[in-house]
Amino acid sequence: MEPVAAREPLIQILSVSRRYVRGVDEVHALENVSLSIAAGRFVAFMGPSGSGKSTLMNLVSGIDRPSEGEVLVAGQSLGELDEDELAEWRARHVGLIFQFFNLIPVLDARDNVALPLLLTDLAKSERLRRAETALRVVGLEERTDHYPRTLSGGEQQRVAIARAIVTDPDLIVADEPTGDLDARNAEAILELLRRLKNDFGKTIIMVTHDPRALRFVDHAFHLDKGLLLEGEDAERADRAVQLAAGGGLLSAAGAARPGGAA
Amino acid sequence: MKYAHLVWKNLWRNKLRTAMTGGAIMLAVVLVCLLLTMPAGMDAMLNDFANNTRLTVHNKAGIVYSMPYSFVRKVRQVDGVAAAVAWVWFGGAFEEDGRVTFPNFAVEAEQIGAVFPDYPIKPEQLADFQRYRDGAIVGRQVMNKYGWKIGERVTLKSTVWPVDLDFRIVGVIDNDRAPHFWFNREYLDQALREKGRNGLGIAGTIWVRATDPRQVGSIMRKVDEMSRNSEAETSSETEKSFFSNFFGSLQGLVTIILIVTGLVSLCIVFIAANTASMGVRERAGEIAVMKAIGFPRRVIFGTLLAEAALLSIFAGVAGVLLALGLTGALKAAAGFSEMLGPLGNFIVTPFVVVQGLFLSLFVGMLAGVVPSFGAARKSVVQSLHEVF
Repeated sequence: MEPVAAREPLIQILSVSRRYVRGVDEVHALENVSLSIAAGRFVAFMGPSGSGKSTLMNLVSGIDRPSEGEVLVAGQSLGELDEDELAEWRARHVGLIFQFFNLIPVLDARDNVALPLLLTDLAKSERLRRAETALRVVGLEERTDHYPRTLSGGEQQRVAIARAIVTDPDLIVADEPTGDLDARNAEAILELLRRLKNDFGKTIIMVTHDPRALRFVDHAFHLDKGLLLEGEDAERADRAVQLAAGGGLLSAAGAARPGGAA
Repeated sequence: MKYAHLVWKNLWRNKLRTAMTGGAIMLAVVLVCLLLTMPAGMDAMLNDFANNTRLTVHNKAGIVYSMPYSFVRKVRQVDGVAAAVAWVWFGGAFEEDGRVTFPNFAVEAEQIGAVFPDYPIKPEQLADFQRYRDGAIVGRQVMNKYGWKIGERVTLKSTVWPVDLDFRIVGVIDNDRAPHFWFNREYLDQALREKGRNGLGIAGTIWVRATDPRQVGSIMRKVDEMSRNSEAETSSETEKSFFSNFFGSLQGLVTIILIVTGLVSLCIVFIAANTASMGVRERAGEIAVMKAIGFPRRVIFGTLLAEAALLSIFAGVAGVLLALGLTGALKAAAGFSEMLGPLGNFIVTPFVVVQGLFLSLFVGMLAGVVPSFGAARKSVVQSLHEVF
């Protein structure tokens, strides 16, 4: 893993808290979290269930809004955008990847990938051409006419990744992208994400439980009970994850450097 | 237009369900189109049945009450009256049936042809009707029903008068719109006198033919004026109005059918809405992802609603075509059988087509709008939480 870099931050999370009401209880999903992520980095949000990592991902990707604090992406404060502007911003700047792929079963791979381009003014032929290019990037150029039901889980996730990159977004956000895949496919997807960072300069944020992810990311943020772990707590969490992944080797290779910036 | 492919593909995601929902909407459209032809169809039927120069006079208290027979002569003297004939209800039951199964009247044999010149009765049969005191002219429908032939003798047992009369069939009304049994009123008059009664001094209904359709209104006014303040005040109406009132119960039936149709259509709205909800629910994950990747609410709402609209338009067009086919088939059948003739009047007009298409669109949109709005209204994070 790369050391913490002092590049220009693409993402700045400033004292963000997120609370919501569930029944009669107020749930503190995130409490006073601050961090920054430089452009062109591949980072992971890690932590146990309920730690707030998915909430943090939703805030960074403009899916959700903080109760307090500010989220800045490329200098744009997401809090200033209304619902429609936020949707437009996501369509332009964010590529989203989900655990369960959620491809549209009645569309073939090419049409699934071209889906976000419907929100642009591109002609149909250009939309399809770009979709084919994206499928080539993820290694599925032979499967363009295949429907999701005829693709394996790994292939479906590759289609979902192609859908995420087809608009050429600055930021790719992946929520447990390997959660529904076997080990071989999971590693292939992680490798693909790393290639997107290395070859295309994408900034990638990944929420994951998967300890293998540490081998691929530049930095891991650890969360627990809505708090961002820092200092010794973060190092301890990092070591635990490395251990789960057969960590001695990872550690020797220079694994995650916990902290508030990446 | 760029969303058309997505809408089209989603429409056929579950072919059976789409076909069933479309079929339900189509059926509602067929039903409604056919029913919407009824008012105009019945009006056309009445126009077929009724002659525009003929009117009827009956007791103002109701058609079961009579008028003095002498009033018929007064009616004949009214300006514009070409001919008038008195009818008296006999209420005769054919012995095999034991109850009244066709309308039978004592009429004035020498007048009936002049008042009903449009009824296809051969002149020689009309002459025989006048010649034979016990002669009867019978509608073809009744003749066919009982297998009677001209020259045959039949006996009717009156349920009104204390007589049984034996008739000789001398003629036939050669259409299926007049299932009457007419006989000479003199015959009934004499039979009653033989029983020691006073003879037939009444007229149940008076049928009048005007020389000119434009005089029908003034004749009605004059006739009713003549009877004012008498023991039997009259009410005159055109033949069409008479039939219309006579078939008044059918109008009630039409109203009931229209209400039932409305309820059936409402049921279909609910069924279609439920189906649309199921469709949206099973796509909740995809819809959540579409929202997340930037599809605005109006596009989500629009594409879901477009699906419902497209389905309802297809179903509406199919329903209208089916209704046109059915009425066309009825019309064709009417050409082969005079008995079905009146059904040829039930025509799906362009206005009915438009109403049918609007109904289908309304049903489809109404069914689609609630689930579409519900799916679009939710926030992205709420949608994602519900499915992941």
